[in-house]
Amino acid sequence: MIDVRNLYKRYHGPFGGDWVLKDVNFVIPQGVSVGLIGRNGAGKSTLLKLLARMDTPDKGEIITNSKISWPIGLKGGFQGSMTGRQNVKFVARIHGGEDRMQQIIDYVEDFAEIGKAFDQPMKTYSSGMRSRLAFGLSLAFDFDVYISDEATAVGDTAFKKKAKKAFRDRIGKSSLIMVSHSVGILQDLCQAGIWLHQGQAIWFDQLDDAIAAYNESTNT
Amino acid sequence: MKERSSLQVTLHVWYALFMREAMARMSGDRFGWTWMLLEPVAHIMLMIAVREFMGRIRFIPGADFIPYLIVGLMGFFIFRDAATRSMSAINANSGLFAYRQLHPVDTVIVRAALEGVLKTIVFMLLVVGAVFIGLNIVPMDPLRVIIAWLTLWLLGLGFGLVFSIAVTLVQESEKIIRMMMFPLYFLSGVIIPVQLMPHSVQQVLIYNPILHALESMRYGFFPAYRSIHGIELMYPMALSLGMILLGLMLQVRLKTKLMAQ
Repeated sequence: MIDVRNLYKRYHGPFGGDWVLKDVNFVIPQGVSVGLIGRNGAGKSTLLKLLARMDTPDKGEIITNSKISWPIGLKGGFQGSMTGRQNVKFVARIHGGEDRMQQIIDYVEDFAEIGKAFDQPMKTYSSGMRSRLAFGLSLAFDFDVYISDEATAVGDTAFKKKAKKAFRDRIGKSSLIMVSHSVGILQDLCQAGIWLHQGQAIWFDQLDDAIAAYNESTNT
Repeated sequence: MKERSSLQVTLHVWYALFMREAMARMSGDRFGWTWMLLEPVAHIMLMIAVREFMGRIRFIPGADFIPYLIVGLMGFFIFRDAATRSMSAINANSGLFAYRQLHPVDTVIVRAALEGVLKTIVFMLLVVGAVFIGLNIVPMDPLRVIIAWLTLWLLGLGFGLVFSIAVTLVQESEKIIRMMMFPLYFLSGVIIPVQLMPHSVQQVLIYNPILHALESMRYGFFPAYRSIHGIELMYPMALSLGMILLGLMLQVRLKTKLMAQ
């Protein structure tokens, strides 16, 4: 369960400091996968960062006893000059996986299916290859909640099928909080929805209702 | 996943970062390992050549010139490289702050540690090599040498921790800090013996903590060595601890700002 209470966040700096998130409240029950929707700049990535404890809120708190993954995204988290294998080793080590290193590497290699590219520098990867590796890597650890920031958006059909199956296998054990602009993948993987609109977060028990509300707001 | 204590998490992060930084240093450019040993050797050769051509072979009380130079150069380099390499660590690793167990300060500490390990290996190789070609550089008081060496590294770490804040928040400061290292090289008694300077200059240089550490290390190497009056290893030691404390406090206080850069 993740309990978000009175969450406020803004970024200070030379470009102003309006509230990105303003008094955000919601509760994500155990095992429920949530899709975050909202227009560009609505604060989706900011909310994910706060949930992943990468950043601290200005006000309010996030109460949880779940193990939450790092935000699995397209940028960050990897060093381009190092190979996929070296990056996997690094992440495994900081998560205390030294003693089951081979198991983690095998799992990621198998999940990512990028062949020889696994031993080539990551700067040579396409965004699809990156997201395969990033997603597979996070699945190699047993988190309660996986946080995905558009990581699935660039994958092909086979990858989406794989991701779907991975979470179907983990139903009841782990859930997903994800941002994506492709409605299809959200409907495949998530049950509930959060619509971020003008700094507020509106919770929907059914993802379809959230998508409907979002579509309605963009049409008018 | 097993529950890990905070200390275990930190140790895992340090280990992971250390392996990664070491890999990057070894395979970074074509020279890799060789350059690490070759650079100080080339530097020493150059300084000996300069001295020969100038034709002013001055007498250093209690030490031969080449051993004197090796100790001074390596002692200065461990300070300088620990400080300058670690100060740019936060910018270089900003992509990794996606993992919340990794704090900006970890990257600084690990870079300083890697630099310390590499420089220690190079220094030992140089000393052994110099002994083999018949130079008088066997340390008479090894404990004193080790303590002075560690003090220089701690100074580098302390300044690295503080500089890393400046460099991360105000990028331009990196150029100024790097430029300051050059005059510091001449003011620390690395190649120009401080004993030969005028008394009025010595009175100013005595405020330079690196000078104290270098001269202390030379006392550990050469039993007959005579430096200027007032050399005290306690001064750089205390300063390094103060800088480390200040650096750590700033790192805690400014953590979110450092991560946002």
